Amino acid sequence: MSLTRYLPIPSDRMGILWSLLNIEGCAVLEYGPAGTTHYSMGLFAGLGIEQENSLFTTHMREDDVIMGDTSRLENAIIEVDKNCAPKVIFICASSCAAVIGTDLKGVCTMIRPKVNAKLMSFEQGGFRGDYSAGIKTAYSFIAEHLAEKREEKQETKYNIIGASVGSYRCKADIIEIERLMREAFGMTAHARLCLETDVETIRTMGEASLNLVIRPEGIDAAKKLEEKCGTRYVSGAPYGYAGTAEWLRAVAEAMNKQPNAALIASLESKQREAAQYRMYARMLKRNKPQAFLYGDYETVRGLSSFLESIGVKAEKRICKHALLSVPQPNEGIEYHRTELERIGIFKSARNALILADDQLKRLCDKSCTYMRISTPVIDGAQVAVHMPIMGDRGADMLMEYVEEYFNTLR
Amino acid sequence: MDGKELLSRLKRLSEIEDANKDIRDLTYAQFPGTHCPLMGAAMAVRGIDGAYMMIVGTDECAYYTKRMTIHSEDWGGVGGRCVSVTIDQHDITFGCVKKVKEAFNELMDEYSPEAVFIVTTCVPEIIGDDFDALAAELTEGSGIRVMIVHTEHFKCENHLPGVERTITACFELMQPQKKNGSVNVIGQRMGRFEDTELNRILVSSGIEICAMLPSGCSIDDIRRAPCARVNIVVNDIGLPLAKKMKASFGTPYVFFDKFTNPEHIEIAYEELFSFLDLPLPAELEALKATAEKAVSDAKKKLTGVSFIYGNTPFRAFEACAFMSSLGMKPELIQCHGIKSEDQNDVSSILTAHDPFITQSANISPMQYIYDELRPMLYLGHEYAMRLRKKGIALVHTDMGGGMLGYEATSYLLAQLTHSAEEAREIREGGMNK
Repeated sequence: MSLTRYLPIPSDRMGILWSLLNIEGCAVLEYGPAGTTHYSMGLFAGLGIEQENSLFTTHMREDDVIMGDTSRLENAIIEVDKNCAPKVIFICASSCAAVIGTDLKGVCTMIRPKVNAKLMSFEQGGFRGDYSAGIKTAYSFIAEHLAEKREEKQETKYNIIGASVGSYRCKADIIEIERLMREAFGMTAHARLCLETDVETIRTMGEASLNLVIRPEGIDAAKKLEEKCGTRYVSGAPYGYAGTAEWLRAVAEAMNKQPNAALIASLESKQREAAQYRMYARMLKRNKPQAFLYGDYETVRGLSSFLESIGVKAEKRICKHALLSVPQPNEGIEYHRTELERIGIFKSARNALILADDQLKRLCDKSCTYMRISTPVIDGAQVAVHMPIMGDRGADMLMEYVEEYFNTLR
Repeated sequence: MDGKELLSRLKRLSEIEDANKDIRDLTYAQFPGTHCPLMGAAMAVRGIDGAYMMIVGTDECAYYTKRMTIHSEDWGGVGGRCVSVTIDQHDITFGCVKKVKEAFNELMDEYSPEAVFIVTTCVPEIIGDDFDALAAELTEGSGIRVMIVHTEHFKCENHLPGVERTITACFELMQPQKKNGSVNVIGQRMGRFEDTELNRILVSSGIEICAMLPSGCSIDDIRRAPCARVNIVVNDIGLPLAKKMKASFGTPYVFFDKFTNPEHIEIAYEELFSFLDLPLPAELEALKATAEKAVSDAKKKLTGVSFIYGNTPFRAFEACAFMSSLGMKPELIQCHGIKSEDQNDVSSILTAHDPFITQSANISPMQYIYDELRPMLYLGHEYAMRLRKKGIALVHTDMGGGMLGYEATSYLLAQLTHSAEEAREIREGGMNK
């Protein structure tokens, strides 16, 4: 099972890059052959990331590989510092630099006296896991090195840890979380790791009174901030009506506040209405409703729980990334190291609700109903930022697909 | 950035001794940087129907390449002809040959390819697995031809070596054939050959095309390619294959790139028809006369016009030498290197000018160069409005990608005279500067 027929799972390096490139006021300098950087531009542009004046490559020639000469990198750091004046320069190893063992930390230490920017290096190179490991590294690193210690808190501010543009509908989900927090508690978001944020906001993120960790890769960062700044954190994301209400209650408990009662009542009402599908499911004679899910861990966990609550059995719950970054993963959620297993699973699905990505959609039988919950987006584009997967608005959208799906079973 | 300082790092054309070292980047930090030879290999395999590309590299290399192919019908979309073997820490330590063999067997079982290009990338090349030996073993065991294309980017400057190595690897598919009167077209990578003047001339002369590499052919076309009477090499990426075919099958080749100088085009046509043992078609006289008239008309308007040369479909030094012969002044030439085929053109430029030379694909710092060199024209890809603010007119040349023959001369001259006029108007404060 060594052949990869479709898109591989993005590497840790890719996750690190798309996280760092969302921080305004910094520059990312890749130490490696230029082609990788140029090649990545298409993906990053598709994820909505502006790259001009924030992403650079040194290129690397044979001499650099054989002799380990880092003068090209040293000159590039000095040049970026002088020409762009970023507050931080992240130096990222390419796979080549990682394999030959370039000492990026050493280079940073040596160059530091010559530049104004803060220098930080990432030596992963794409060999220390998948994108999940990468974004975990990025969040932890930022929390440890960029966020300053703050004792005083602003009660109305919170940070979001776990925004990742590599996830489908990330921007819409963040907007939905911010709406829920505003309506439930009158609070506003401060730093968002890592989506449309900046160095200064991250520096002061210790002022926020709460950290919302919306995917498990952010827990380590939240723990670091708790230790450094005493900031409490709540882990988990709001999926489904009941799940959103439960999440708001968890936030309320951490904040020692009461959520907006009308909002909670509305969510409970919607859940009761959606639960009627349990009865419809029992009435079905031939095909019992079943779902096959594939995506980020928290998305699969949250959506499968919602579907079960409305009478749709989560037949298969498959996590796209390795579960190493997930403390105590749910036993029912599988991870497959190679694509062949999931190809077989999705090919075998019949009369099922498929919540997955556009690649797996192509493998499914025509009797299935498909909703995209994961990247890559192949058929079309992500444009709307008012159509989340999280929150009650996300659940509303999912219910439309559920209705469509039930119609195929009757 | 200081334009003077940037220029002080560059060498002039007369000072270039070792192109690899002397043609310097404008800056150490580049954006976007050059394309990767892996991408070049993908561009070539795309045009070979029935061939599979199996990338051996990191998740990232495989991801970007697969992503590029996903919307292409030529590739077969998501489940198409581009597959990969992604390597991890274990493979780096212990080698990845065993894994590649396993993947190859899966590929054979599931897809039954007619031929496979195993494309190795930077990391497997650093590890040093013997992929050439592996290809020989897989070819022997599978009954299909398995070819290796090495695409480590740290050994070359851009994507073109990837295209070149892929089409050169096609030599292994070829079998001796009885010669007929057809031609092969090697190296067409922009535009459609069918739309070119050269193709019209071939068609009107009753000459058939056997194989077109890399722009669209089957494995069988490649196998039969040695039946051609002559190879037409339309870009120097086709030269290594043409030279191999000449040595093994006795097929002569004509180098017929996107020349802009009518004298070069005339020589290429003469060579081609001489190899074909046919008289020059009469219509070429008229085409040549049109091009020569365009040259004499343009000369009056272009003398003294200075320019910076960027990325165009033409041969950098051939086009610059031609423009110099019109009295134009090259201030800076962006290029990927200087090849032996460029030497005459380099000498020709140096008779009148000695421009700065730099590596291409690094647009951002060019903004500071404009203020220092103040050229009238910029040839290549840039933002026209950004240039206008600096008194420079952009010369659009992309349409030239689909041209071969005297049409390229007339097209380039029309673009140059139009833009030179625009530059004068901008500098005189006209055209809503």
